[in-house]
Amino acid sequence: MARDYDHLFKLLIIGDSGVGKSSLLLRFADNTFSGSYITTIGVDFKIRTVNLDGKRVKLQIWDTAGQERFRTITSTYYRGTHGVIVVYDVTNGESFANVKRWLHEIDQNCDVVNRVLVGNKNDEPERKVVLTEDASRFAETMGIQLFETSAKDNINVEEMFLSVTRLVLRSKQEMKERQQVTNTDTVNLRKSNKQTRKKCC
Amino acid sequence: MFSRLRVNVSHFFECFCEIVPPSSDKDAWIIQQFPENYKDEEVLKSVPKFAYPYTFENNVIQHYSFVLTDIESKWTFGFCRHDPKSQTALVVLSHLPWHQALYKFLDSISVLMHSPRANDLRDFLQAVYGQRIADPGKNFIVHFNNGESIFNVECPKQFQLPSIPENRNLTEYYNAIDTNNMIIIFASMLYERRIIFTSKKLTRLSACVQSANDVIYPMIWQHIFIPVLPMALMDYLLAPMPFLIGVPDEVLKKVNRCEIGDVVILDADTNKIETPFDDLNNLPTDVVTSLKKQLKNKSSLLGDGVSRAFLRALVQLIGGYRDALQFQPGEKVTFGADRFIETRPLSSQPFLREMLNLQIFQQFIEERLDMLNNGLGFSDEFEIEACRYSDKSSSKLKQQYKEWTSSMKKEGSAFFKSVKDKANPAMKSAVKTVKDGGKGMRSAYKELKMKLKDNQSPQQLRNGLEGLDKPRSAPNSPTGKRRSMGFGNPVASYRKEPQITKKMAFERQYSPLSSQPMSPDRSRSGSPPLMIPQIDLMNEMQDLLQLRLDTPPVDRSLKPVRSLENFKHSSPTSSPDRWIFPSRTGAPMASPQSHLFKSRAPDTQNLLQSPDDVFSSPPVPPRTHDLFGTAPFVVGGGRENGQPVFLIANQHTIDVVRLSPPSNSPSKKKSDESQDLIRLDSSSDIYEFDPLKSNSSLSSSSYLNSSDLLSKSLEDGHAPLSVSNPLYNYENHNIKQNGTPTERPKYNSKDKDLLEEYGIDFNMFDSFGNTTQKANPQGEWATFE
Repeated sequence: MARDYDHLFKLLIIGDSGVGKSSLLLRFADNTFSGSYITTIGVDFKIRTVNLDGKRVKLQIWDTAGQERFRTITSTYYRGTHGVIVVYDVTNGESFANVKRWLHEIDQNCDVVNRVLVGNKNDEPERKVVLTEDASRFAETMGIQLFETSAKDNINVEEMFLSVTRLVLRSKQEMKERQQVTNTDTVNLRKSNKQTRKKCC
Repeated sequence: MFSRLRVNVSHFFECFCEIVPPSSDKDAWIIQQFPENYKDEEVLKSVPKFAYPYTFENNVIQHYSFVLTDIESKWTFGFCRHDPKSQTALVVLSHLPWHQALYKFLDSISVLMHSPRANDLRDFLQAVYGQRIADPGKNFIVHFNNGESIFNVECPKQFQLPSIPENRNLTEYYNAIDTNNMIIIFASMLYERRIIFTSKKLTRLSACVQSANDVIYPMIWQHIFIPVLPMALMDYLLAPMPFLIGVPDEVLKKVNRCEIGDVVILDADTNKIETPFDDLNNLPTDVVTSLKKQLKNKSSLLGDGVSRAFLRALVQLIGGYRDALQFQPGEKVTFGADRFIETRPLSSQPFLREMLNLQIFQQFIEERLDMLNNGLGFSDEFEIEACRYSDKSSSKLKQQYKEWTSSMKKEGSAFFKSVKDKANPAMKSAVKTVKDGGKGMRSAYKELKMKLKDNQSPQQLRNGLEGLDKPRSAPNSPTGKRRSMGFGNPVASYRKEPQITKKMAFERQYSPLSSQPMSPDRSRSGSPPLMIPQIDLMNEMQDLLQLRLDTPPVDRSLKPVRSLENFKHSSPTSSPDRWIFPSRTGAPMASPQSHLFKSRAPDTQNLLQSPDDVFSSPPVPPRTHDLFGTAPFVVGGGRENGQPVFLIANQHTIDVVRLSPPSNSPSKKKSDESQDLIRLDSSSDIYEFDPLKSNSSLSSSSYLNSSDLLSKSLEDGHAPLSVSNPLYNYENHNIKQNGTPTERPKYNSKDKDLLEEYGIDFNMFDSFGNTTQKANPQGEWATFE
């Protein structure tokens, strides 16, 4: 089957309900006609293909319902993904607290996941309670990028998605290089076979 | 908060829809709904997709359920009924996972719709919708038609383990999937894999998915859960997160398998599993061994044997969470993950360390902590099994919890109070449930007392009691291709001319199922007019009963199937008189039926030993004072491929329950196995669980007061019985110290020996130093080209 892309990345978007995940996805998606199923089967995804460094990258971004019920989101949730977009609402301190806990958890248990931190609803300064300084200090300690976005006014959304895509692409290429190095060093056929088996056809 | 079921459900159902199938130019659509003001557009938009997940030939009556998940991840259950005689499908949406009751409701709707009194449907729906739901274990009784007709279903008890054959989902799962594969699926769920079930039959598909989740109780699947995936949503199989999805065979054919990635696929029609993982072998061996052992003992699997076997496996794995609870005065109770691992046997530690990374386990811990911190003792089947498994930890826990509670009270009742105030409704309802459990308990003991009076032999008594102590499921209602016979096929002699209901603006081509007009006077005479087709059931059953004539005589060495008692007493209110065939004047079905059945004497509670015994004793007619009938009953038995088969009739259908004979091992070994089970079950622990001996601790738990009343009935000591009733809370698990110290040590050491024998003695493991190294977890992560 001919592929219409060079890379397929599956990303997750996490955050409390109400922080604007769906709006971000709508802004981002190729077409907004496909219905949303988050309220009927508790999961939704949007697709978009972007061109990056001459590569066609197909992004699937997945969202599930009711994540705020988890004190921690455990590593099994991230197991099959290439990257995570972690969203809080800059007007809601609690949503930021959840995000901090979840990111710590990712940090401890899922080291291969690329992630960015997103403060959404950054369009009404007077209602903002999560200060940029606090958020960026936290992002720094976690070693991740922070984006403050507004899905409503379409601010910084595109940049954020492109940036996470670039992140994933880069780590994929790095891994490939590292693999090649390992292969030439040790000629570990078994391992490389295993790696190729896992990739999507 | 933790459960995915809603609490404080106020209606038996949320919405009823009748769905027109898709045609070449149009998708399936809702032709009518009740209540009309049900406004959830997104839900209404999806219901037709789930009612017709793909284009299928509808040859038999099918019941299946689907699940919708809302934005808070709470589940709404859709119950669907397809009938070859109807052009439309019926769907009921409910927040209650009560499959049996809601399938019965669908049948009632269908009967009504196809009767000359189709216009009464609205009244019926209105009446059911408006009625407050009965408490757990009670009957939900709705009078309609000016009080002349009754709809009656049993509300399942809380904490009750699904049992075979009452629980149709588990029965279906057990029949379709062998126990080894059930264990593999269980293991896959404990690794939170992406799991696909597939089948050509929607009934089987949804039942298997639902049951797979049921058997990981007390944990609950926290990820994507779609028991039936419509064709339109097949792209959702690409989800990278864990899921449990039922994919109809037709839909799976369309999916590009290699796009899905690493996934576990169970084909429920062929009983085959494809999995790229080795999850089963990564479970601690002692857990798998004892699980296999329990599931091998076929004769104990009727009733809640299957559920309990898996529950015990989970107790072995995570019951020790109790040892890791940390009680710091003045602070909330917390869970020490490291302590949890350290206190486990070495051999289990690698797996349990992984288990900490499971969402299902995290949520389980959160839930337990939340209950403890709210000052609510809790006692469900899991805790009871956990106490059985290790009384040491429970006594310590009780002591700690008691101290913690009292210090909390001293330090500032304010804290406690505020926590209580904040307790979410689930907690309140949990307390309520425990209270209700108390009531259920009382009636159970009443029943027990009655049996004592009935002058039975001790052996019978014991079996009767065993039946009692098993939680019972609500009776079933029809489902499924494989078993739909009888009611579904109207018999010519009773069939009226088809009536076309113009009201719907959609020309129906049903042949009405209802055989007689529901005339008011008949209702007044107390007979349920809609029961008539039951005669068809009986006629059709004769064919089935022929089966026996072609089969060899029964193997008398087959162990007594104690659990069959369960469905003979399948309702908490069941008493012998329930089974007497009521002779009502004017009941149209009375005379034909009495050709088939003699009325049953109240005291014929004899044990069912084998299918042939079932057959040789007169079949038990269901009670008939209820309009649509509830209780399943054994109508016959025989052998199929040399395996005993029981025919269990519900009102509209017949279940075939296969009981494979005990494995080929010598009979001595068999009896050992079952004896072990009984010992674990039933001998020593009675005093630990018996609230009746716990007068000292009762004061602290006000909702247990009702058990005072019961104490006398058990005072005369039936120690060998285990009483597993959710009534007990922590306080009561540990009364042994002041209760009856005399007998315990003896039993205790026996149990220890027993545990050791099965390699589940923790200390023993501690002395061996061998750890199984787990595979590199990294291997499970998404990889890059």
